[in-house]
Amino acid sequence: MTIGKLTFLGLEQVRFAYDALTKDTIMEGSKLIITEQEGMVKCGTCGYQGDFKYADDPLYHVPVPTLKCPKCGSTVNIAQGKECTITNIKMMI
Amino acid sequence: MTASKKGVVKAEEGEIYDVELSEDLLKANQRLADENKRLLHENGAKAIDIMGAIGSGKTSLIEKLVQLLKNRYKIAVFKGDLTTTIDAELIARHGVETVAINTGKECHLDANLVKKALQRLNLKKINLLLIENVGNLICPAEFPLGSDKRLVVVSVTEGPYMIVKHPFIFMDADVVAVNKTDLAKAMDVDVKKLEQDVKTINPKTKVVATNARTGEGIEAIAKALGL
Repeated sequence: MTIGKLTFLGLEQVRFAYDALTKDTIMEGSKLIITEQEGMVKCGTCGYQGDFKYADDPLYHVPVPTLKCPKCGSTVNIAQGKECTITNIKMMI
Repeated sequence: MTASKKGVVKAEEGEIYDVELSEDLLKANQRLADENKRLLHENGAKAIDIMGAIGSGKTSLIEKLVQLLKNRYKIAVFKGDLTTTIDAELIARHGVETVAINTGKECHLDANLVKKALQRLNLKKINLLLIENVGNLICPAEFPLGSDKRLVVVSVTEGPYMIVKHPFIFMDADVVAVNKTDLAKAMDVDVKKLEQDVKTINPKTKVVATNARTGEGIEAIAKALGL
């Protein structure tokens, strides 16, 4: 499955839940492959497309993503990173 | 030739099935949210989703908004909580139709719960729906409900870092109320700094300082929401 980095899903928790749900079922021991999707923004004003601009205040330890366009400063839209997709399922008969 | 003569395609032992799905699980909620919005618009109603932490003053702010707007709009209120109808009763005493949505255990409302609550309303009789989400600054951001605008209430009593610690909900906010401004001095919190934090994360969000207890800033909130 594909999980966007802007969802509130933690990969470790998803894996834990998968193991708990599949235990004692036909899917026990099956492999869950998760691909993480990076966040991406698009600017309607200047056409910028790419990573967020981060507010990097040393006080916050972790940079805070913002919707400010890194190129022109106007407000961008989130174009990618909110996915939670089951891409495909492979099974052996 | 009939289908049976062609034989039936069967999997051999050990054969690998690869089922392509590409189904986005969060899109299921988005689809229901779009349906809710369409239904409301067809009936000439708009909806505001009100989010914020537990105790930030969402219900008090809604009470003041209802008092201000009830002569201008035909209002209904959905009040999301894990349990009890305490807050729903508070709002209902202002004479507007109020539906309590008890999620049981869920920490946020979703589009399906709102869809079910909409079935309890006579949509012909309302043109403004205020939806108070469950107190939470995290999960509600992931679940659109079908509202036209999203208002986030944050109060100075939550401390100076509430906004930078929860950037994602502010990315979704059209308007932010910084509430309980009368306590800012006692809490040693700078309201201007909170406003700046919102603007840094989402430059197009409107920020209004409010005191929902006295009604200060409520008219500015209504204006910012286009009401």
